[in-house]
Amino acid sequence: MRGSMRGCRMTEAASLQAPRRRTTAQVLVTIGLAMMAVLVVVALFGPAIAPYNPTKTSPASLDGPTMAHWLGTDSIGRDVLSRLIVGGRATLLITFVAVAISLAAGLILGLASGYMGGAVDLAIMRVLDVVFAFPVFLLAIAVVAALGPTLGNLILTIAVVYTPTLARVVRGPVLSVKRWDHVEAARSVGIGEFTIAVRHVLPLVISPVLVQTSLTLANTIFTVTALSFLGLGPPPPDPNWGSMLAEARQFMELAPLTVIGPSLAIVFASLTFIVLANGLRDLLDVTAR
Amino acid sequence: MIRMVAVRLLLTAPILLGVSIVAFVLMRALPGDFAQASAGTSTISAEALDTIRRSLGLDLPMWQQYLGWLGAALSGDLGVSFTLRTPVASEIFPRLAVTAELTLIAGLMAGLMGVTTGLLSARLRGMTDWVVRGWNSLLLAVPNFVIATLIVLLFGLYFPSVGIFNYVAFARDPSGNIASLLLPALSLALTVSVTVSENTRAAVLEVSSQDYVMVAKSKGLRPRAILRDYLVRNALTPVVTVTGLQLAALLGGSILIETIFTIPGMGQYLFDSIASRDYPAIQAIVLVASTIVLLMNVLVDIAYARVDARVSYD
Amino acid sequence: MVEPLLSVRNLTATFERHGAPARVVNGISFDIAPGEAVGFVGESGCGKSVTARAILRLAPEGSSIAWGGHILFRGQDLLRLDDAAMTDIRGRHIAMVFQDPMSSLNPVMSVGAQIDDMLIRHAGLSRRAARRRAIELLDLVGIREPASRADDHPHQFSGGMRQRVLIAIAVSCQPALLIADEPTTALDVTVQAQILRLLMRLRRELGMALMLITHDFGVIAGMVERVHVMQHGAIVETGAVDPLFAAPRHAYTRALLAAVPRLDTTAGPA
Repeated sequence: MRGSMRGCRMTEAASLQAPRRRTTAQVLVTIGLAMMAVLVVVALFGPAIAPYNPTKTSPASLDGPTMAHWLGTDSIGRDVLSRLIVGGRATLLITFVAVAISLAAGLILGLASGYMGGAVDLAIMRVLDVVFAFPVFLLAIAVVAALGPTLGNLILTIAVVYTPTLARVVRGPVLSVKRWDHVEAARSVGIGEFTIAVRHVLPLVISPVLVQTSLTLANTIFTVTALSFLGLGPPPPDPNWGSMLAEARQFMELAPLTVIGPSLAIVFASLTFIVLANGLRDLLDVTAR
Repeated sequence: MIRMVAVRLLLTAPILLGVSIVAFVLMRALPGDFAQASAGTSTISAEALDTIRRSLGLDLPMWQQYLGWLGAALSGDLGVSFTLRTPVASEIFPRLAVTAELTLIAGLMAGLMGVTTGLLSARLRGMTDWVVRGWNSLLLAVPNFVIATLIVLLFGLYFPSVGIFNYVAFARDPSGNIASLLLPALSLALTVSVTVSENTRAAVLEVSSQDYVMVAKSKGLRPRAILRDYLVRNALTPVVTVTGLQLAALLGGSILIETIFTIPGMGQYLFDSIASRDYPAIQAIVLVASTIVLLMNVLVDIAYARVDARVSYD
Repeated sequence: MVEPLLSVRNLTATFERHGAPARVVNGISFDIAPGEAVGFVGESGCGKSVTARAILRLAPEGSSIAWGGHILFRGQDLLRLDDAAMTDIRGRHIAMVFQDPMSSLNPVMSVGAQIDDMLIRHAGLSRRAARRRAIELLDLVGIREPASRADDHPHQFSGGMRQRVLIAIAVSCQPALLIADEPTTALDVTVQAQILRLLMRLRRELGMALMLITHDFGVIAGMVERVHVMQHGAIVETGAVDPLFAAPRHAYTRALLAAVPRLDTTAGPA
């Protein structure tokens, strides 16, 4: 008896690291959520917060930071801060909607594929493989270039591009989970397959999906701003971070500070989701693939 | 061995076919008429349009058009540029070499940085671990085109002597050529180094707890020898694979980086083609780049499987 | 009484993790004379492996372990040596054979190279001389065609053959003390006997002291002169093998002996 207790104490000692890691994870998630709240507020109320009309030009072009214009003005005298605040709206709207769509599609396809197996699995995975085979950014560029950079096309393209990753993340655990005892037990007492999938399998898939979703959000921020940076973003004159950076780049020698604003905005947004993903990964104990 | 290579290639074939279909459909799904797009913006008579249509084979059924296009692509004919009226292939391949060089340098940089930081993080733990992980999170949050823009800002404004837009062809001045690619490669490498770093860290931690490392210690080997022969050599296998699989990210990133640093590679070609709506060029670039990435992945796969058979036989 | 080769006094081992210490070895003392074979028997988790590793100051990666007491090797306290001096002792004077041969060899190095590096380190041999010696050692532990096998990688060897290689590594510098921690537990029964006989033969030929750790009294018989029975991090009974087998005093010893199916088969089939 004492011997086994001793054994217990050792494993306890080994797992003592967990609480500290949990606390750090909770801090990370909290910071991430707070940063996300800022983004959401900017996305929802941007025009109301912005001190100026973001598309109104003025003669004071490429001014440095002043009391009137905290971050200065751009090449045709528009207030950079206002453009940043309102510009976040387009970027974040595309990001959130696109990821929501690919999340839904990924869940449906991943669950169907992993759960039904067989020919359905094969068909779905092969099609997703094709999409997955493209370098993400290249495919996005090609599609947007071919179809035209409208808001709808951007959202659709990004949703399609990131669906395979999410579907794979869902399918993996489903494959291993669906043969577990309690699932077998549910099946044996005659609970319907759909109920089993939603009640028993889905909850176990949630953790990795949450982590992958925040990573996808970070990736999407990159893709959206990069496309806009290349001139394939939402059409002007409404501002967005990517095209603002591209514009600022052309006048960099005259007004170097105009580059900093959009850069920081982009970094803040992606950092939000990376912090969130890291925190969630530790908190939910999802091992990296 | 040969059997495995054949199997992997066979598995890739349908994906390649799918990729080609996507690339083909993309161009045919253009808003408006392909013949009209081919003729450019100028107004054109209906008969002339018909002639173009016939010459491009647009009057044939879709599947015939696809097969014809695929057959041509397989024999190296990637279509004719709308803007330059020259074969796209002759434009792509010289630029591909430039991009390949940039990607290679960036890959080496990312590998070097990632392995170093990952190794430090895993071996020293504690404070170093936290610093490296924080640094990695930050790097991951700064997109490569932002890094590139900031590098251009920094050097353009404060160190103009470095000369960041001075791309030199390799044939003219090899060392100058490599030097001119260092900063672009760096901005491309930083993000990718994070993946390498995280994987190195995980691999080293995994290997550290292996019995053979304990045996190595019990042999009285010096820490440096244990690190080199036991830890790094074993941890490197998955790390090399991961670095290889980052090729897609590097290739995608090079589109942005080449545009920013005005390097005449595939990325810039794609950017120019998009600006001038040169659809055959866009289509060819997508096809070629995707094929390269796919084949590279197969290669990495095979290499890994070979090493893996040796490593984890049991 | 000869001067002991190894003299352990009041050894303690404590795992520490964030302020919650767990003591797994509770102040044990024992001696090993030069050339003597001593057995340590007890169930898993009784602290016998931790004791063995303490002698070489080996801690599992990522854990912090604190040792107390004294481990005197030829009069030198190993627990108070600096790291460099301890590294010189490991392998050169005290070597160890571990439980699981499948995971104890570096998969990316040839087995020859894994003997070479030790010889180069401790015996100061050249690469070529080390390889010649490595081949002799492989021959010594009963590996056929040692010259060509030296270039093979671990996965090309069976479990028993790998344990032979690990024994070759351990004895390569002719240590004064060989610690064998459950050296046969992971092996097939038929192979177990061969490995035990090999250890016996090498001990005789090289004049090493042997510290044999096992949970199985069957392994001990015929291998060692004295046995320490361990439970809960302490030595509960000590004695010469035959009297202890004949009349165990401690209840735990009796329980362990009862767990051995038939004592007279311990030497194993030929």
